Amino acid sequence: MIAGGWITLFSPLVGAAVITLAGTRIGRRTAGYIATASTMIAFVAAVVAFVAALGKSPDARSQLSTAYTWIQAGSYQSGFSILIDQLSLLMMLIVTGVGSLIIAYSLGYMEGEDEERRYFAYMALFVFSMLLLVEGGNLILLLAGWGMVGLSSYLLIGFYHRRASAVAAAKKAFVMNAVGDATMAIAFFLLIKYTGSLSFSALGQVPAGNRWVVNIVALGLLGGAVAKSAQLPLHTWLPDAMEGPTPVSALIHAATMVTAGVYLIVRCNVAFQAAPHVENLAAVLGTVTLLMAGLIALVQVDIKRVIAYSTMSQIGYMFLGAGVGAYADAIFHLMMHAFFKACLFLAAGLLIHALGGEQDIRKMGGLRKLMPFTYLAFLAGGLALAGIPPFSGFFSKDPIIASALARGGWFGYLLWAAGLAGALLTGIYTFRLIFRVFLGEPSAFVREHLHTEHGEGPISMRWTVGVLAVLATVAGFLQFPPFWEPVSKWLEPVAPPLVVPTNAQEIGTLLIGVTMGATGILIAWLIYGSHRFRAPAASEVLEEKFFFDDLYDAAFYRPAVWLAAMLRRAFEEPVVQGSIVEVATGTRDAARWTARLQTGLVRTYVFAIAASLAVLLVVFVAVR
Amino acid sequence: MSGPGIAWYLALSAFLFATGMLGVLLRRSPLIVLLSLELMLNGANLALISFARHAGNLDGQVFALAVMAVAAAEVVVGLGLIVAMARKKLTLDVDKLSILRG
Repeated sequence: MIAGGWITLFSPLVGAAVITLAGTRIGRRTAGYIATASTMIAFVAAVVAFVAALGKSPDARSQLSTAYTWIQAGSYQSGFSILIDQLSLLMMLIVTGVGSLIIAYSLGYMEGEDEERRYFAYMALFVFSMLLLVEGGNLILLLAGWGMVGLSSYLLIGFYHRRASAVAAAKKAFVMNAVGDATMAIAFFLLIKYTGSLSFSALGQVPAGNRWVVNIVALGLLGGAVAKSAQLPLHTWLPDAMEGPTPVSALIHAATMVTAGVYLIVRCNVAFQAAPHVENLAAVLGTVTLLMAGLIALVQVDIKRVIAYSTMSQIGYMFLGAGVGAYADAIFHLMMHAFFKACLFLAAGLLIHALGGEQDIRKMGGLRKLMPFTYLAFLAGGLALAGIPPFSGFFSKDPIIASALARGGWFGYLLWAAGLAGALLTGIYTFRLIFRVFLGEPSAFVREHLHTEHGEGPISMRWTVGVLAVLATVAGFLQFPPFWEPVSKWLEPVAPPLVVPTNAQEIGTLLIGVTMGATGILIAWLIYGSHRFRAPAASEVLEEKFFFDDLYDAAFYRPAVWLAAMLRRAFEEPVVQGSIVEVATGTRDAARWTARLQTGLVRTYVFAIAASLAVLLVVFVAVR
Repeated sequence: MSGPGIAWYLALSAFLFATGMLGVLLRRSPLIVLLSLELMLNGANLALISFARHAGNLDGQVFALAVMAVAAAEVVVGLGLIVAMARKKLTLDVDKLSILRG
């Protein structure tokens, strides 16, 4: 089990290193095969570890393995260790499973791109970073993985480095994530100060008298989670991150990166339970994000951006679940989301690939007959996203909403209602996309630009989408509360749920949730399918994404530019540059005055010597 | 042994030295400057020898001999320079030699 964990962790790193070191000595395809193979090996090792853990008693499933002492400073000490337990095993399976499928898909998608080797090395590095994050046996290793995920995402979002918008998006993602990294670091410093350790158990050992320490630690962790998972208010990087290649978007959205925040909250649930206000804040942020992202997704016209906002929305559900204490439900939704979101993104990638890079849904239409396989895959992903039985989202989303109801109080009811409203929005925006892109007659643009003479895409792209579509369709049956809940039972030793909905709450929410999703689809059909109603004019607030970008521009970017310009005018130019000019002219003047002493007449020199001697003589005599 | 006291010798030596120095400082002809230089050296020599007599040992006299040897060498170099200047048809005026001015 432990050996499997180590192999899982290092296999992608070895893959990335081999591709990097081999350079041009290996072909472009070979680089792709190495990256795919290394993540597949990691997946197999994770499966082996998982099976080994299945055979153990629940208490023996959590094992910490330390390779060596990594950091030692005074009494503080951290090992390079991995923690294999129920939670990290599930995450390992998701990351390597979905990740390797996405990398295999890239074999076809990136065919003929420049710098394929760099791409595949980055992809393998990304998977390694995420594995380090989920397997790290203490908080400092988790933070290392956390930072490396940020780095890899920066490299991949900015992969098309000749495009200015891609570089800007990469920088934006990195800066936004750095804010979260900083708040996490503050939390860790406090932990070291008050408990002297960064092991996961230290999270529960902060002296209970220090209310503010407990709260700040939880708040710092939440800040990191919010930044990485693109929740309000640090969410603006995620839609821009669509500048990267489509498989990168899939990897960021499905298997790695944005799920890290949910993982962090579940892993550190002790710290959040100690600070109930922060936990409530997580739930509120998740809820607001899921509603806001759902509304924005209604008006976006870029196919990838719509899916990106749906990711924000779905992660909002996971935050809501983790915030009210339904940890297993959040992780289960994370897993199902990984399947159907990867399926949606990769199917969208098939579309974009076949349409020569076009992402604007206004130019698409009538693709159902032209690309039936893509249509079916996209439909499976869309139905799962909207939570229609028997697709996977149905099984995972509604338990989260039911948990909000089970939390009770006006707060719980509010979250519950918002979650259901989000389900309605999900149905609308998902099927707006599907109806516009696939139904109706082929648009002029499609007739002109679609090229499917070699099928709907290379074989490597089709089988991976097929696998994910099947998973999006059937994987939900893994857990069907309240009837069978193996995932919740499996996770119970790591993160026992704080709230357990009654059967009535569960089934009632399930029914309302499905109705909401179906209503959303119906509304989408009436507007975009049958054109019985005209779409209401898109509000400017939604098109401008609630003005968050403008707000940050006004609040941070412009003051920084103003400050820099002012410092330049008030300090740089007069003081720094001025002092250099003054020093130069001063030296030149001093030299000019000194040079006058050099008359060139030997007599004056001799006179100077004689006069000095006379003065010295007088001085000596006088002193005596 | 009788005769003038050491103060007289020293006074003469100082007078010679001062005369020589004034010559070096004030005269323009390099030949005279060289001459005045010799005067200064001999003023110094006189002081050395007087002190040697006064102290009753030979150290000062030996030193005076060394000064004479150096002075001889110096005259050779100095006169050589003056001859070279004359050959180049330069004006024999030390104030004209001012190319070292900064």
